[in-house]
Amino acid sequence: MHRIEPPAASIYDEMLASDLAVRPHYDEFLRWLNQQSAETLSQRRQEAELLFHRVGITFAVYGDDNDAERLIPFDTIPRILPADEWQRLEAGLRQRVAALNAFLHDIYHDGHILKAGLIPAEQVLANAQYQTAMRGVNLPHGIYSHISGVDVIRHNDGDCYVLEDNLRVPSGVSYMLENRKMMMRLFPELFARHAVAPVEHYPSLLLDTLRHATFADNPTVVVLTPGHYNSAYFEHAFLAQQMGVELVEGRDLFVRNDRVFMRTTAGHKQVDVIYRRVDDNFLDPLAFRSDSSLGVPGLLAAYRAGNVILANAIGTGVADDKSIYPYVPDMVRFYLDEEPLLKNVPTWQCRKPADLSHVLANLDDLVVKEVHGAGGYGMLIGPKASRAEIAEFRCRIIADPANYIAQPTLALSTCPTFVEEGIAPRHIDLRPFVLAGKEVKIVPGGLARVALQRGSLVVNSSQGGGTKDAWVLEA
Amino acid sequence: MKLHIHHETVYRYDAALLHSAQLLRLTPRADRDQQVIDWSLALPAPASASDDAYGNRQHLLVLDTPGDTIRIVAEGTVETRSNVSADQPLPAELFLRPTPLTGCDAALTAFAEGYRTLVTHHGREALLDLMADLLDRMPYLPGQTDATTTAAAAYALGQGVCQDHAHVFIAACRLLGIPARYVSGYLYTEHDGHVASHAWAQAWTGNRWDGFDVSNNCTPDERYVRLALGLDYLEAGPVRGVRRGGGTESLQSLAKVALMDQQ
Repeated sequence: MHRIEPPAASIYDEMLASDLAVRPHYDEFLRWLNQQSAETLSQRRQEAELLFHRVGITFAVYGDDNDAERLIPFDTIPRILPADEWQRLEAGLRQRVAALNAFLHDIYHDGHILKAGLIPAEQVLANAQYQTAMRGVNLPHGIYSHISGVDVIRHNDGDCYVLEDNLRVPSGVSYMLENRKMMMRLFPELFARHAVAPVEHYPSLLLDTLRHATFADNPTVVVLTPGHYNSAYFEHAFLAQQMGVELVEGRDLFVRNDRVFMRTTAGHKQVDVIYRRVDDNFLDPLAFRSDSSLGVPGLLAAYRAGNVILANAIGTGVADDKSIYPYVPDMVRFYLDEEPLLKNVPTWQCRKPADLSHVLANLDDLVVKEVHGAGGYGMLIGPKASRAEIAEFRCRIIADPANYIAQPTLALSTCPTFVEEGIAPRHIDLRPFVLAGKEVKIVPGGLARVALQRGSLVVNSSQGGGTKDAWVLEA
Repeated sequence: MKLHIHHETVYRYDAALLHSAQLLRLTPRADRDQQVIDWSLALPAPASASDDAYGNRQHLLVLDTPGDTIRIVAEGTVETRSNVSADQPLPAELFLRPTPLTGCDAALTAFAEGYRTLVTHHGREALLDLMADLLDRMPYLPGQTDATTTAAAAYALGQGVCQDHAHVFIAACRLLGIPARYVSGYLYTEHDGHVASHAWAQAWTGNRWDGFDVSNNCTPDERYVRLALGLDYLEAGPVRGVRRGGGTESLQSLAKVALMDQQ
């Protein structure tokens, strides 16, 4: 028997119930675990580390000069989801992404939701993420976010909440795929004992989604990367290779007669769909940031002419902006006439005077985030912050209230994880990847992220988080 | 007013230019207040035309073997009426956001805030005062600013050209919650000497777009021909380009606006 440190009383643990009884979907795993010696498990973990190094899965961490590229720690205890729970989650994700795409189409066309007064027009139209250039553009099937990475957490009430909708260039799917490959390689017997829903067909679903994002026949698809200095370059190369399409940088493409072409050894070839992993502002130096060398001059004109499809579309960021997030449940009701299946975290908008005073009076208890921030940067976690940190944040909020939102500190669920001291509960989340086209497709599970430090609630890999394989058990 | 415009722009390079891509906004907008009678562009190569989201006519000129000179000539006749509220179907709120060129620093914020109460009560009249005050604080003086100068930098400098004036005015308006936009175009003047290529601002005063020409401390009338509008110079300026090679670029731009016989 391995000793597993019991979870904190106020926290939902994915494996152990409050009476420390094993949840049924972890029964078989725990039985297997207890048959393994500590030495074997330790050996396997070392093997995993070695293999990941060899594959070259690294992640550049900003703000860390000594060790710019490092391995994202991988934990060998999976996050397991029972079939019925996944079905509910999946239905909620489909609903949410459908509403978000409908919202994006609406705000770049007639703006019904603004006219109905559900969201203040100024909050959408004056948002820095709103791209006026998208007005007058009609996209096939009305899809703006072809690939969405929705961050879901479980609170201590046992329910799943959406923390954020990532609709710009969500990353991490390569870790989901490599983690599964690694688990199957290290512990093949586990997959004989469990019916784990497969994820390895993600690249073919992605290619399918991209090919159907255009009306062009037999379309040419490419992956556009900012280049090898980007923290997710590995993933760009990986996905291009898995899909069997070209990985290109801006300088490999050019625009002629409002069409996009790729330079190849066999001459020029027209490109129909660009899976772009370059942010909006860098896509076209003639339209956005003039100093960008990552983009393609004239790309916007080609896009507006309907001669190339970008996935995701330009201007999706306005829908996953933290100042718009509080309205997603309203979007579900407005566009789909349904009740939201997934919960939103209650959010105070500091731009509203009443919310602001509540936030300033409760900084000790709240999580405060910049509305345009991402990756766990620029946020305050009240209960974990020092007095000085809180005081500094208070000044920042007062100086620019509209730039901040606040939420209660959620008790993210934990999952037993290998750490220095043995096996102990660590906080986790889940990022499922939703592919939207003519149909919506989601591989079961997603990227499970884990905060490796005791008590930490920040799972972002840029902040020292690790990952786990996520299993959805087939019914 | 029927105006004939001849606008020649020449880019010269002191080294071989390898590749050039330019977005030209050199076709006057056709709308209720401005009728384009004839217009043509003479370009070194065919360019593809399209309308941007603001309804500006643009041409994408891509040159692979450009040599050392690019010559662009825009010429034609435009009949203007008033120049107040040339409307377009975009929501005014789109012109509320600051851009890197139209942000405020502390000094510019202080200047704009000084007008908040006045603007709240008197709208357009107060903006006319703000315009006059602004020209006093930063007289028209070329040479110290360029296409990359921000509103805050120009205000700090205390001088600038029409582009800077428009940027500062727009930055102040947006800070006060008034949608404002940049307009580039041509201005007809009776006496020669003043540049005919021009830029000014428009502000949303509740139900229409009013023009504000800070450099001339006046409101645009039928002597003004509108080429393009946008959030700032980068979105509405006549030419925006990127290139590889070419060394140092020198730009010569000459626009002439003449009054046609009144029939």
